[in-house]
Amino acid sequence: MREHVKGLIPVISLGLFALAGALISGTQVTYAHEISITLTLIAVAIGYHIYLHGIRSLRHGNVTAQLFATIAIFISVVAGLVLPSASATGTAEAVGYLTAAAIVAFIILAGMTLEDYIIHRTRGALEKLINMSPTTARIRRDGVEVEMPIDEVKIGEIVLVKPGDKIPVDGTVISGHSTVNQATITGESIPTEKIVGDHTFAGTLNEHGALEIEVEKIAEDTTLAHLIQLVEEAQEKKAPIQNVADRFTTYFLPIMAVLASVVFAASYFTFDFEVALARTVTVLLVACPCALSIAVPVAVAATIGNASMNGIIIKGGTHIEKLKDVKLVAFDKTGTLTVGEPRVVEIKTFGNYSEADTIKYAAIAEKFSEHPLSKAIIAKATGMSMKIPDPTDFKTIPGHGVDAHYGNKHILIGTKMIETEISEEANQLMSMVESEGKTAIPIALDEHVIGIVVVADTVRENSLEAIQRLKRLGIKTAMITGDNMRTAKSIAEQIGIDEYHAELLPEQKVAIIGEMKKGNVVAMVGDGVNDAPALANADVGFVMGAAGSDVAVETADVALLGDDLTKVEYAISLSRKAFNRMKGNIVYAFIWNVVALSLAAFGILNPVLAVVLAEAGCISVVINSALLLLSKPKPLAKIKG
Amino acid sequence: MNIEKVILNASKTDCTGCRTCATDYEADNLRHAIARLNGISKVKVDEITGKVTIEYDTQRISLSKITERIEKLGYQVEILSREEIQ
Repeated sequence: MREHVKGLIPVISLGLFALAGALISGTQVTYAHEISITLTLIAVAIGYHIYLHGIRSLRHGNVTAQLFATIAIFISVVAGLVLPSASATGTAEAVGYLTAAAIVAFIILAGMTLEDYIIHRTRGALEKLINMSPTTARIRRDGVEVEMPIDEVKIGEIVLVKPGDKIPVDGTVISGHSTVNQATITGESIPTEKIVGDHTFAGTLNEHGALEIEVEKIAEDTTLAHLIQLVEEAQEKKAPIQNVADRFTTYFLPIMAVLASVVFAASYFTFDFEVALARTVTVLLVACPCALSIAVPVAVAATIGNASMNGIIIKGGTHIEKLKDVKLVAFDKTGTLTVGEPRVVEIKTFGNYSEADTIKYAAIAEKFSEHPLSKAIIAKATGMSMKIPDPTDFKTIPGHGVDAHYGNKHILIGTKMIETEISEEANQLMSMVESEGKTAIPIALDEHVIGIVVVADTVRENSLEAIQRLKRLGIKTAMITGDNMRTAKSIAEQIGIDEYHAELLPEQKVAIIGEMKKGNVVAMVGDGVNDAPALANADVGFVMGAAGSDVAVETADVALLGDDLTKVEYAISLSRKAFNRMKGNIVYAFIWNVVALSLAAFGILNPVLAVVLAEAGCISVVINSALLLLSKPKPLAKIKG
Repeated sequence: MNIEKVILNASKTDCTGCRTCATDYEADNLRHAIARLNGISKVKVDEITGKVTIEYDTQRISLSKITERIEKLGYQVEILSREEIQ
């Protein structure tokens, strides 16, 4: 903020000098005229920034708007000093020319400063991210706690994070238990639970528990720092539509130079030298391609900034233009639409046994097994706050199940392990569950089946909403998976996806994306690990859950840092809005220039009005673009295609 | 600590001659981006000439890493001078 205030000093002092010069010229003070001229000249001189730029551009062989402004102001100053005769009216005229020059300099400088401020605010999204990373860390060294600058922390050291503090490093929790708000990284404000072994990101907020974290990455190597760099680079990457504006602006200023000469010659022969001079100056001042040149880049920066605050990294202007045209979104299933890990979704019991009994005996038998299905059962038991005793003995038979003893009880898990007759009821139940694409695990206690644990990969909480949102935009959805047809069908039905393709090998996924691309702009959403080729083949590749994996972020065109699939719709909606804004800006800037130029050429504008028009056109485009930063995701019901 | 001072010329090739480039924000952006790299002790960006003066610790960062960062932000980099100062 202080920098911006500093930027106002030349603007204000220029204005004050110009005002003082104009006011004093009408008074009876001795040497009023001379004082007025001096004050006004000082005012003009304060705008030196403009002239330096103008002259510098000449050295590089460029014609710039700054150069035009410099010439216009220079002409006015010389005209004010040389042209008027020594008569009384001449004096007033001199002051008139000089005051006009000072006012023009004032408006340009004020306009520049305002634009500067707005563009800074647009980039402010990034500044906010940067300020998220703490500059110091509390470290335990030789048993003593010390606070030190983050630069001096070494990898492998232990950082202590109190409740309510920001986590200063990327690392692994080695002690403690807490929830952490990772909105800085993922854009999702629901806190994530962190226990021993979990990964933490620098810049995220530790909520209620103390944590001890082993340092893995610091300063510029952290996920947050990488994201900041990525966003900065993405903001510099042009959108193709900018070529339209650039092609125009390349010729714009040279043409304006010619036009200015024509206007000068025409009005010199029609009227007189002074009229010719005034009109030429006016044309030079109104000829500002700014509005056109910045119609796109500020919008790109604002869009990418907005997305990054929502946990979406769009890697450049090109992707904004592709996103706006997406007609079909293909999702990977496992780990994308679904959680990717099997979970216990149902427990059926027989006889007098309760759900807790079934899970308890299953968990005892599975306690030392590393199988994903065993983990699902253990997780369920832990979730029901059970203490799981060790089995007396156990034996795992791969592909079959488990045979274990607990005290004098004999536990058998898995259809192939249970040799006694399974009841008709249990059998029916199991085939029904399996037809839904789930896995049924029977549990027997002392040769009697006491229950069935149903395990399945579950659909992510917001997958259904993500699909609904896309449908509201008029976008088709598809699921492509290597999994079996039954499971694919069941999941597709749960979330209402338009089409699904199952039992695909990775290269078949690539081919299917190729098929879909015929006549459609296709986006693909995956986890970036085993579906990288298919992602690369799509017009836009979304990688989800990308935080912490540099490779995933690298391969993506758009990286969703968290797991929230509804962001796919937001990225597309935002891009549509941004592109319309860019297009609108270009058209608006073009019309504005043509109108202002015509007015100037026919002498309807004076230099001061000309520069006001030019700056107003420019600033309105900048504001219009910067406003994209304030765009927010809409509730489902309000989305329209 | 092994401090080296380098002077670079950073220019954007695609300037369209609008007044916006002349605002400080381009220079500011560049300054912040460089300053956030590890091992940078001083950065000065002259927005009029495009001249960038950087002092950095050669043990912590290489010149090529610095220029790579500047290029990634859309600039063309030309090294004007380089000297060890400490």
